[in-house]
Amino acid sequence: MGTLDAYAPIIDRIEALARARGLSFEPVYFRVTDSDELAEVASMGLPNRFIHWYWGGAYKELTTQQNKEVFSILELVLNTRPSHAFLRASNTYLQNVLVIAHVVGHVDFFANNHWYRKSNKNMLNEAELHARLIRHYEARFGKERIEKLLDALLTVATTVNAFERSPEARRRRLIYFLEEKAPLEDFERHLLQAVREEAEYFDLIQRTHIINEGWATFVEADLLREILDPREWISISVQLSSRPAPYTIGYSLFKAIKDGRGFDAALEVRTYYEDVMLIQEALSEDMIRRLDIFVYDPKEKKKSYDVQRVRDMLIEQKQFKGQPHVEVELGGNHRDLTLVHKDEERKLEPKRISLFLKAVHSLWRNPVRLRANGKVYTYDRRGFSST
Amino acid sequence: MSLRIHRGRIAQHKHDQLLREYLKQNLNELIQQKELIIDGRVKTQITTLDLPTLRYGEEATVLAQGQGGAGQGQGRGAGRDGGDEEVQALGGLLGGDHHGRELRVELDFDEFVRLAQEVLIDEIQLPPLHTVGRAGEVETDEMPELDDLDRIGLRPDLNLEETMLHSLLRSVRERGVLDYDVDVRQDGWYFVEDPVQYRNHRSLEVYVLDISGSMRGEYLALVRKTIFVLWYYLERRYPTNLRRYIVFQDAAAEKTRDDFFCVESSGGTHISSGFEKAVELLEGATEYDKFLFLFSDGETSSGDFDVAKRRYEDALSRFDLICYGHVNPGSRGIGGFSEYVQETARKYPNATFANLVDVGTIRAAMVDFLTFLTQERSDGHAGRLRTDH
Repeated sequence: MGTLDAYAPIIDRIEALARARGLSFEPVYFRVTDSDELAEVASMGLPNRFIHWYWGGAYKELTTQQNKEVFSILELVLNTRPSHAFLRASNTYLQNVLVIAHVVGHVDFFANNHWYRKSNKNMLNEAELHARLIRHYEARFGKERIEKLLDALLTVATTVNAFERSPEARRRRLIYFLEEKAPLEDFERHLLQAVREEAEYFDLIQRTHIINEGWATFVEADLLREILDPREWISISVQLSSRPAPYTIGYSLFKAIKDGRGFDAALEVRTYYEDVMLIQEALSEDMIRRLDIFVYDPKEKKKSYDVQRVRDMLIEQKQFKGQPHVEVELGGNHRDLTLVHKDEERKLEPKRISLFLKAVHSLWRNPVRLRANGKVYTYDRRGFSST
Repeated sequence: MSLRIHRGRIAQHKHDQLLREYLKQNLNELIQQKELIIDGRVKTQITTLDLPTLRYGEEATVLAQGQGGAGQGQGRGAGRDGGDEEVQALGGLLGGDHHGRELRVELDFDEFVRLAQEVLIDEIQLPPLHTVGRAGEVETDEMPELDDLDRIGLRPDLNLEETMLHSLLRSVRERGVLDYDVDVRQDGWYFVEDPVQYRNHRSLEVYVLDISGSMRGEYLALVRKTIFVLWYYLERRYPTNLRRYIVFQDAAAEKTRDDFFCVESSGGTHISSGFEKAVELLEGATEYDKFLFLFSDGETSSGDFDVAKRRYEDALSRFDLICYGHVNPGSRGIGGFSEYVQETARKYPNATFANLVDVGTIRAAMVDFLTFLTQERSDGHAGRLRTDH
């Protein structure tokens, strides 16, 4: 699509400005595309990933939201070498200039952030390989069997931790435990590893979501102030503060750091921090009030702006993706698998427990137990029960 | 043309297949909702398909953002339905993935009807009608002339010139490129017959519903199921179906389709008013076949009985076919006005009576109805009433 030529001069200018500020990054390939492809990549996470019904639901939702113009994807950029980024054809020129500046912030983050050093920059090819492997196994073992297996694997895949290096701590996380100990057949283990690798790729992005979006928005604002005329700049700066929470929280944190300690300090933070460190250090009471973030108790309909509670909850959300903190209980006999919910005060949705345990049981094959809600739930070959 | 593999659409197709299975299993419950159509859509209690990951219960505390903060109106997917509008849970948003959504599945009414038809045709075990009725079914001496264009049609009748032009314009509009990327669903234009000339392909269907009695779930379910199955056959028989809806208790009123599927029961019963209103709607109708489908429990007010008889006979002389459905979910006897219609319908070739008790009796009613359609097809017209055309 030839229209990319229209953006070549501004891409050069933005990249030059960024480098002059001390940013550094790998080459970025921009691609002009339609909303449909954007929704597709956004819902699957990677352009050539294996096809699963679960992304279908997300894709459907995104396309309807885009059609209704309730929400549109702001930008899409892949942590690969080289990096790929998408510009929507139906955006105005100015909108795409914003996207380009924002993307430059992301690729700088990918190239310099400490936690991205060990990240897999080859994921585009690996995802393609995984997709081929899955097609191959589907032909050999039947689509239904593979689909059921993938459902179970994606369910436990949310327990990955891309940061965790200690084998002991990793073993407490369900997916690593299953990889090591579950009586899986070879093809099942291959698929578990494929799903786990992809989940780790996304886990890193999730664990740095606030700092990464915050940094990109901060860079975008900084570069655009130089490029745009004052009137354009004012309309943009209003827009910047009405973005989804990770953008605005991260942006506020970086602005506070720059205002207090200068641009170099901000650069340093983008190099060494991830979300939890950033929140611990920079999230202030004043900021919480301004962003109107609180811990909400639906039973009492009460809000709490207590800085410690908000901070703790935000951090916990980062560590477990907003999902309950469930660990594998190590030791015990080798046949049964026992999982423990670590935060007894918060109750788990009971309807989901049997479905979850059924999925785990399909991988573990032997009795699976979960201690939560003051009960012990069991799934074994007779089915689901609780005491 | 671009040869892109639409992975998103393939994934969505897989997702929707699963969803359909799920909805099919819950159809009976869904069809009984008092307000079936809200803003043109059917709401369900089913949350969107999700992987069975663990989740906190409704009452657990959450991290949330209020109106005072930024980012409102975006990424609402993470919201939880607490009835407290100004609080938006941040879970999914900060986690960065899609888990924990609480979206209720909604369907277009048309999509819902198609789904219901699939289930019902299967359940009733009537043959699905494969022959499409655009031109084939009404006997006519002339070959239909395809001299008009429409956005809906059959693949063999695709008008290439219009379709390509439309695709080109869409590409320019959406992507700013001069490119043919034909998506028949979006760009297709078809040759069709001029609807005015071929009026014999059109039907007028009047649906009349008695809302006086207790419209319990099963009552509604029987009426709606019967209507959806009727639609299945009528849509394949007539390319153009004009549908009008009437509800009555003491008096009758015409309703929109959406209101017809959301009525509240009330008042006494004057079946006569239903027939009277239906005949009124025939004023100026030019459709080839005119159908009246009336659903009632038959318990008309005593003073209305004789008037209702006269109106029924009057309607019989005006409609090509009147199907009277005695809605009888408890399988009690057939009394009141229904008993009268049951007797009378035998004497008229264009009257049918159905005792709607369960899916089996819907099947019996459909057999009667299809017999009528088949006869009409072989005669080329619907019996004695054709003389006035």
